[in-house]
Amino acid sequence: MIAKRWLLLFASSWLVLPLDVHAHHSPAMFDFSKQLTLTGTVRLFQWTNPHSYIQLIVKADDGAEHEWSLEMGTNAYLYNLGWRPSTVKAGDMLTVTVVPLRSGKLGAGLLVEAKTADGKTLGANP
Amino acid sequence: MNARPRIARCVPACATFALLCGAIPLVVHAQSLPDWSGYWIGEGLASEISGFPGPGANYKMLTRDTPWNAEGLARLAAAGQRQADQKANGWGFPLMMNSGAPLQFLVTPDETLIINVYRDVRHVYTDGRDHPAEEDRWPTTWGDSVGRWEGDTLVIDTVSVRNPNRYFFSSPPLSEQAHYVERIRMTSPDRIESVMTIEDAVTLSAPWVLNLVYERARELDRMINDDYDNDRSEVEDGFFTIVPPEE
Repeated sequence: MIAKRWLLLFASSWLVLPLDVHAHHSPAMFDFSKQLTLTGTVRLFQWTNPHSYIQLIVKADDGAEHEWSLEMGTNAYLYNLGWRPSTVKAGDMLTVTVVPLRSGKLGAGLLVEAKTADGKTLGANP
Repeated sequence: MNARPRIARCVPACATFALLCGAIPLVVHAQSLPDWSGYWIGEGLASEISGFPGPGANYKMLTRDTPWNAEGLARLAAAGQRQADQKANGWGFPLMMNSGAPLQFLVTPDETLIINVYRDVRHVYTDGRDHPAEEDRWPTTWGDSVGRWEGDTLVIDTVSVRNPNRYFFSSPPLSEQAHYVERIRMTSPDRIESVMTIEDAVTLSAPWVLNLVYERARELDRMINDDYDNDRSEVEDGFFTIVPPEE
């Protein structure tokens, strides 16, 4: 459902004319036609500008651990959604929805939703 | 007759003359200014945790309804070709007035400051001055703005704005000859409305009229300004990628 919403947004604007908007860098780096769901443990939460980031350790089926760099909006945008620097801590278990890189390279992406271990969504949507 | 009494007699007369000329601001003027305190975000443009707004975001400066002429369309196409690896340090004018970046309007008798979280700042002088002479001004990212109050409406006249697309990769590629007029008014305690009219003989075939709305930011109790000290995007094969954090 979320993927369709993103597709609709970008099909109606960015794919037709150069209409995408993202402070700091172009969103062309992300493939908004795809989404991944990952569950893992937070290693680091960077409350920063121009983007905040979560470093998430995800365990594969074979037991190997892979670290993902998950980009978020700037801390000012997160603040307006009720986030604070203490909202996510190292050791927290999260299930996240991620838009992957257009290059297909794994290990990084855009964080579009984050849920705590008890299923609570972090950060209210506008 | 000595000079002292003559000066004493002159002071009240001079003060009255200065007040009539507007040289001394009247306190009542400040009291009559509207209260636009708080923080504001473009209607429907507040970002989700990704940094993008939700579906249906209505970026009115990024529509296909813009009355571009041939030069405007050519500039738009060229901008689209080079944006994949572009960055910006803010939004600049006019895009900062139609973005998800929270705004603050600081209204004083002599000027209104418009500030956003990326430290884009506009000084709108309302002390009666005009723009500098054309030969003494130069294009900047935020332009030169003067304003006046018509009742509770702030009318802003802005000129000398550098091509906005040079600063922000998806801003409209207007020329430095563009003339911007905004009429901004609070219509309810949580809503400010603005009508922006842009005229630009270089890139537009007709005046471009934008109806913009600002809503009170729900959770923002302070302006968050922070340094660009964690840019982890780097170009790889023509697109940005995210590099690991510095430990």
